[in-house]
Amino acid sequence: MTQAPTDTLAVELCGVDKSFYGVKANDNVDFKLAQGEVHALLGENGAGKSTLCSILAGLYRPDAGDVFFEGEEVTFKNPKEALASGVGMVYQHFRLVSNLTVAENFALGHPDTGVRLNQKEIHKAARELGEKYDLPIDPAARIWQLSVGEQQRVEILKLLYRNVKILILDEPTAVLTPQEGQALFKTMRQMAAEGRSVIFVSHKLDEVKQVSDRVTVLRNGKTVGGVATADADTRELARMMVGRDLVLPTRDTVEDFGDVMLSVKDLHVPGDRGLEAVRGMSFDIREGEVIGIAGVSGNGQRELAYGLVGLRKPSAGSVVLDGADITNNTVLEHIDAHQGYVPQSRLGMGLAPGLTTDENLALKAYRSPPYSKGRRLVASAFRDEGDRIVDEYDIRGVRPGLPIRLLSGGNLQKALVAREIELEPKVLILRSPTRGLDVGATEQVRNLILKERARGVATLLISEDLDELLALSDRLLVIFEGEIVGEMPAEEATAERLGLLMSGQVEEASA
Amino acid sequence: MTKRRFIVEPRGLVSWKVRLGVPVASVLAAFIVAGIFLFLTGVNPIEVYSEMLDAAFGSPRGISETLISATPLILTGVAAAIAFKMLVWNIGGEGQFILGAIVASGVAIWLGDGVPSILMIPIVIVAGGLGGAMWASIAAIPRVYLGTNEIITTLMLNFIALALMNFLIFGSSSPWRDPEVSTFPQGRPIPESARIPEIFFRLTGGIFIAIALAVFAWYLIGKTRWGFAVRIVGDSSDTARYAGIGVARKILTVFLLSGAYAGFAGGLFVAGPVGALDPRSLDLGLGFTGIIVAALAGLHLIAIIPVAILMGALNNAGPSLQAIGVPTATVTMLQGAILIFAVAGEFFINNRIRRPDIEPDEESEVTPVLEEVEPA
Repeated sequence: MTQAPTDTLAVELCGVDKSFYGVKANDNVDFKLAQGEVHALLGENGAGKSTLCSILAGLYRPDAGDVFFEGEEVTFKNPKEALASGVGMVYQHFRLVSNLTVAENFALGHPDTGVRLNQKEIHKAARELGEKYDLPIDPAARIWQLSVGEQQRVEILKLLYRNVKILILDEPTAVLTPQEGQALFKTMRQMAAEGRSVIFVSHKLDEVKQVSDRVTVLRNGKTVGGVATADADTRELARMMVGRDLVLPTRDTVEDFGDVMLSVKDLHVPGDRGLEAVRGMSFDIREGEVIGIAGVSGNGQRELAYGLVGLRKPSAGSVVLDGADITNNTVLEHIDAHQGYVPQSRLGMGLAPGLTTDENLALKAYRSPPYSKGRRLVASAFRDEGDRIVDEYDIRGVRPGLPIRLLSGGNLQKALVAREIELEPKVLILRSPTRGLDVGATEQVRNLILKERARGVATLLISEDLDELLALSDRLLVIFEGEIVGEMPAEEATAERLGLLMSGQVEEASA
Repeated sequence: MTKRRFIVEPRGLVSWKVRLGVPVASVLAAFIVAGIFLFLTGVNPIEVYSEMLDAAFGSPRGISETLISATPLILTGVAAAIAFKMLVWNIGGEGQFILGAIVASGVAIWLGDGVPSILMIPIVIVAGGLGGAMWASIAAIPRVYLGTNEIITTLMLNFIALALMNFLIFGSSSPWRDPEVSTFPQGRPIPESARIPEIFFRLTGGIFIAIALAVFAWYLIGKTRWGFAVRIVGDSSDTARYAGIGVARKILTVFLLSGAYAGFAGGLFVAGPVGALDPRSLDLGLGFTGIIVAALAGLHLIAIIPVAILMGALNNAGPSLQAIGVPTATVTMLQGAILIFAVAGEFFINNRIRRPDIEPDEESEVTPVLEEVEPA
């Protein structure tokens, strides 16, 4: 690409093993990182990318294998030691103190930070670094006031402030609009040009193609191969990543939908801090239609879902389901009205982590037969229905008495979606239904959604994954700061157009 | 090489062998450590333990006394366990127990001799439950609706309850105080019709009532629709809200039920071996020991019964140690050691330790959770 990386190895990993719960997340992994290169680490979710990075960053220690840093064997005991040697990582979940300012976060854990904080100096350094790398930031702002993209900037600048030689970015583009992603790529190239090495973790082929010098592909915890990006063709990389040729299911075009099933008018929902998070949204969903809501996380998606399912009382507006006003109904009344909801956080909200799969599958239906007779539970119904659903929806790893939290992400999501579908919903509200799933599970969950669509269910798909939105939605709405800033049929939607709308830079008149 | 000697990792499905074996091993370990301690103080631990075993189970009278001691512990254990299952940290079992005893004895004295036993005994026990629930409500209502910390409120209410009982007997001429005794103040004996008949030496039918109540609690939580909702709330309140369950009301009800169970224990104790509001018999920390019982039983409502009998045996064995020149406090030390080992044992129930080069056996292998839990 722009500049040929030097041949000096910054980091070398040989035969690294790391197991969790008796399953190998990294299995005899070899990895070589040259100085001054952007090195992409490509693989599906659960392929072991994050584990590998966490070993480099000193968060985990390998069960076996060697780590060489600038030619010398090292064992980082903790992230602090790694950082002192010049290896820093930006995790998917940021590690910033949200009540402190940007500058104070810079100072945290910095070896030069003494008893007193020289705010002025840090402010100056932060501002200069921001300008240099085209990542402008206000050093006095508190973290909670910043958007996700800005927080990521703080994380990166914090590591540059520590003058790291190796910068690990774990799925950095997942929280960014396409345009913000482009800006980040520019910064990554700039850092490489200075002789720093950047490890870029992703499962998106086009990004890897665009920004990296070399690619290492991981699959099921093993290294499949390493190639120079210029020599690699996208289809070849895809096959290395997935292990087979794979086409994810997409919707077929439908001309006529049924009657309006869910009608939302001028909906306002308060946010956590009292301010309105949803500020006057209106849309209709017809039978058999999938409406996609695109937007960067934190623009009112959670509150919209809460407002629609009764978890938070709307402050104004109306929600009408199949002719009945359900605006102020309780959660239970929403469930009884056949409204299904798949929340974003599977173990945090959708499932009771400590209960068994059978019990979780009965989480909403337990109030009536066959699960209960009067006030008594019917144990055999839990077992029989559980077996049937587990079988029908191909939920794997289930054993009697096993808490559901021990299932893998894909199986958790299949169980969650299966339960909602078993309630025979008229309306299905889904938040990021395939987030974090491997390709196989993504395929299964998408098929379930499309099957429900064919059955005439009105579906609201709230997601940050543009591929998913484009593949499943009939119509797309873009949400920005709690308002709909654009609306289009899926056929007219492109990632670029959605990205511009998501960043709030353009407002199109609602169709 | 950065090879590690041992790997600690969570177990998936915990087999019943482990679930049962670890607590048993914990108790044995506690006895061994306490034995070393006894040995260092110049006593033969074997002699002490055989003396204790003999006192607790060696004679019909001993068994009877052990079960008498176990009766309130079953109920205070259940009281603690059902609250803890819901992550309600009701450590006010002590105070709720005392209030149960106060209300139960008060009702018995107020009703007097006229009421037949068949009505009187249930009334007294239920009154005890109400007393306990009422005392719990003082902490429960602010906890549920205002978010106060129940650990602090229930703990403080214990001292108030104790002071109230002492006031009723020592500080005033209340109806609870025996007017006929002028030397050292005592509780007024409750009517004979309120006393549960003795069946085996001093042991009353109260032990069966306690066991029945524990089984009922187990049934309620494990086998009913209401109990299922309670278990969901206890596992994750966000999930419960999502499933349309009224979380605040469930927590409140369970908190009051927990108080009621401690109160039942107070009622049973008064209607059983004590027969009066007697501070010396009631201020033994039975509510606190209930917490140990619940913890050792892993909050399992049926396992509480044998654990309470073990703890009752220890309590019962204490005084006999003085005969061989060992302080009664040895029992307190043993109970403390058992609790510490039981809590530490939890770790081994939930985790296993293995060598990295030895793969875990096929049977216990579980699917990993490689996905990070995202914030809500």
